[in-house]
Amino acid sequence: MSYEPVLLRRSAGAAPGAPPVGIGAYRDDGGYEGLAKALTMAPAEIIEEVKASGLRGRGGAGFPAGVKWSFIPKESDKPKYLVCNADESEPGTFKDRLLIETDPHQLLEGCAICCYAVGAPVCYIYIRGEYVRQAEILESAIREAYQAGVLGESVLGKGFKLDMRVHRGAGAYICGEETGMLESLEGRRGQPRVKPPFPAIIGAFGAPTVINNVETLCNVPHIIQRGADWFAGIGTDERNTGPKLYCISGHVEKPGVYEFPIGASLDTLLEAAGGMLAGRALKAFIPGGASAALLPADKSHLPMDFDNLAKAGSMLGSAAVVVMDETTCLVRSVYRLAKFFAHESCGQCTPCREGTNWSQLVLGRIEKGHGRPGDAELLVRMTANMSGTALCALADACVGPVRSLAQNFRPEIEEHINSGRCPLPYRRVFEETA
Amino acid sequence: MPDLLSLTIDGRTIEVEAGTNLVDASLKAGVQIPHYCYHPRLSVVGQCRMCLVKIDGVPKLQTGCTTQVMKDGMTVHVDHDEVKTAQEGMMEFLLINHPLDCPICDQAGECGLQDYSFKHGQAFSRFSYEDKRTYPGKERIPLGPSVVLNMNRCIQCTRCVRFTEEITETGELGFFQRGSRAEIGVFPGNELDNPLSTCVVDICPVGALTSTEFRFAERVWYLDKKPSLCTGCDAGCNITLEHRRENIRRYKPRLNAEVNDHWMCDYGRGTFRAYSEPRITSPERRNARGETRALSWADGLSSAHRALTQAASMGRVGVLARGATTTEEAYLLRRLADALGTGDRGVLHEPGPERTIPNPNGGVRGNELTPNRRGALLAGLAPTDTGTDPNGILEGAVTGDHSALLIFDGGAAGKDNALSRQSVLEALRRAGTVIVLGWARTALVDAADLALPIATHAETAGTLVNSQSRLQRFERAIPAPAGVRSGVEALADLLRFFEPDFGAATVAEVFALLASEISSLAGTDFDQLPANGLQLEERLG
Repeated sequence: MSYEPVLLRRSAGAAPGAPPVGIGAYRDDGGYEGLAKALTMAPAEIIEEVKASGLRGRGGAGFPAGVKWSFIPKESDKPKYLVCNADESEPGTFKDRLLIETDPHQLLEGCAICCYAVGAPVCYIYIRGEYVRQAEILESAIREAYQAGVLGESVLGKGFKLDMRVHRGAGAYICGEETGMLESLEGRRGQPRVKPPFPAIIGAFGAPTVINNVETLCNVPHIIQRGADWFAGIGTDERNTGPKLYCISGHVEKPGVYEFPIGASLDTLLEAAGGMLAGRALKAFIPGGASAALLPADKSHLPMDFDNLAKAGSMLGSAAVVVMDETTCLVRSVYRLAKFFAHESCGQCTPCREGTNWSQLVLGRIEKGHGRPGDAELLVRMTANMSGTALCALADACVGPVRSLAQNFRPEIEEHINSGRCPLPYRRVFEETA
Repeated sequence: MPDLLSLTIDGRTIEVEAGTNLVDASLKAGVQIPHYCYHPRLSVVGQCRMCLVKIDGVPKLQTGCTTQVMKDGMTVHVDHDEVKTAQEGMMEFLLINHPLDCPICDQAGECGLQDYSFKHGQAFSRFSYEDKRTYPGKERIPLGPSVVLNMNRCIQCTRCVRFTEEITETGELGFFQRGSRAEIGVFPGNELDNPLSTCVVDICPVGALTSTEFRFAERVWYLDKKPSLCTGCDAGCNITLEHRRENIRRYKPRLNAEVNDHWMCDYGRGTFRAYSEPRITSPERRNARGETRALSWADGLSSAHRALTQAASMGRVGVLARGATTTEEAYLLRRLADALGTGDRGVLHEPGPERTIPNPNGGVRGNELTPNRRGALLAGLAPTDTGTDPNGILEGAVTGDHSALLIFDGGAAGKDNALSRQSVLEALRRAGTVIVLGWARTALVDAADLALPIATHAETAGTLVNSQSRLQRFERAIPAPAGVRSGVEALADLLRFFEPDFGAATVAEVFALLASEISSLAGTDFDQLPANGLQLEERLG
């Protein structure tokens, strides 16, 4: 394995709970050189560089970051904003947390470069409420950066004014949706807005706003420092470039965050994570967080990047790989996910409010042994009505696992219904925790 | 001149202004896009997802309410398999947790869920009823004095929330909880008590919000509906008067973007209740001992004529109107005053509470109890240069300056007004001849020497001029009881005693006479008056 980590270069091998890399150590290691270089470039050049790198959003949707930046109008009578999405709430995802905990200045540098490129004098880092320690780490890193002249009236003495604030959410999944996050940031009930207008035109406080994920922004300093060509050379192809953090969890020996060039297969990840837990056989896996469709074990060789996974009917999402072995009841797993989505649905739009709850109810009754013939078909039809009809992506997120279960793992559902109980007897008595 | 863009909906090509949303645009093409959360006066939230349509060149279905026509040549499909599947899916989602308690729901018959179920729904359910979500204990929450919430029926369209945020700007209502537990409610320590609060019942597409007034009063399919005007103040709100067998059950606002838009105030809504007051149904005369005797109309009119002629020859006569006197009635009163040769005439100016009904042009104000004082001024029912004003007339009657008083009382009964005060009534009893045309058995009628029963505004037609000097027509909604004549009939008959050649007998004919005298009404015809009213050039004070 000759791959040298990029994003985790300063954090690899750090002891759990170790203090983050401070600004001194960060600068000694070449930190803030990307920003210094960026400040000598024209903003449009930076955007072109990021475009050329092929960097796609690491938050889930995979939208090209440079293209997103270029949507920000050059002329605006309102201030522009960068909002860094650190509301990492997708079940199974914990990569942003690690990036913030271990190397906060890498994120601040990425944010600063982005702000300079789009002309935003203010950056908000919206962090989920549960990340208390991480928010404190960020705040102290920001303080350090202000003291070192990296932030404030004149960034690195180059006359660019930049302020950065950490904004803590209250822990709602929906606030990870970019417009839900903006509503929350503005102090309102966190629920997604109608799009268009997109945030690039009318975003935070009615002003043009870029919203990027933590990992996306952490890639930016490296692109500027080492060039778009270097970045584009990593990965599967020109549409899937750069390093990628994979969060592997579930039935593996060593769950955790692993960095690979984008397009690592599950087999590669399992090798790094010490193999399946207790040597048991793989049954299914979720490649991209709770909203991605389940894939069967025979897809473990598949390169996990944006396009290959989309072709396979799933998605890279946040690259939260959840591994399930042969002892797992998939109905129960997906029921638990549906329950999560039903709980986190904001409730404003019909297909999500009603559909997530209904899928949860149907899956619950199947798992409890009260399933009815035709329930699998009902799940397929119901999710078809939820798919692509809702205001934001949350309904589709629920569709991912539910539909893939009903379509690709139907025998398991039928077995539940026909035998009137969950066929995996070693599991704890089903708890009704409605 | 805004840009016109062409748009094809279900094969019908129309032209609309740039920026028009598809729900509005489709109406122009004669196509209905079903919707719940969209309301033309509220912010667009795209929540109910009922208005999904297929747009050529766009892969996913789009919501019609949030899609604006921005470029020429857009092609939209509503009658499309994909759209139908989506509509069926949304209806299913909306109904799975709906209690389906239509038999006991006030909204039944005018319910968005019922209507769209018929049009876009399925005839079967795949949902098991035992899984229905309910809000125990939230079946009848009084949100305020006029509105009751049944949370089980709510489809979370948030129209009511947006109404209180954006129209009344009072913000009493909020959207609480999340997901399928999401609910509407008032903020703690608050209640839905603003002057327009009942409008949330009108805009609620389902039976979640019901009006305290109308709850369980009537099944809506029994109601006959007639376009009318509210007479609660001089704002002149357009209403639909709804009655069952001549019993008025409710007023609902009727869209007139120039006046009350989609709204009306709670006070105005309640004004129909006055019409349940006891009526007088035949002319009656009161003698010196206070005994009343019913008369025929012929006797009533001739004795009115006699009394007025006699009084005019002996001294001064005053002609006075108050309440919902139509412009036509005011015109006839003026002609009568002319015939009696008196300049002491007018409409009582009775200031009332200040009300503003929002509309796109900043709203319409009302601050008088008399809904048509301006119409009476238009008809010339105002003191002449040498005449006395209404307050002077009242005083004159009391002090004996006037030997006879003709009072036209179109107002609501039992209300506190200039003619219900004890001191005035006492004085009127002692005064010379007092002739009252009115519809309710009021203290004023009891104090009159001669009373003639006339129709309420619901029982007659006419025009009213509101605070914007906008002349609006209303139609007869219900027939008058036996023995009661409309104000126009009664006054025209009385006028014929003085002017045997006076030919006009109907409201339209009287209006034609009025129109021939007033330049801003020249060429207008009662039956052809614009539906949203006629803005008069002159501003009537």
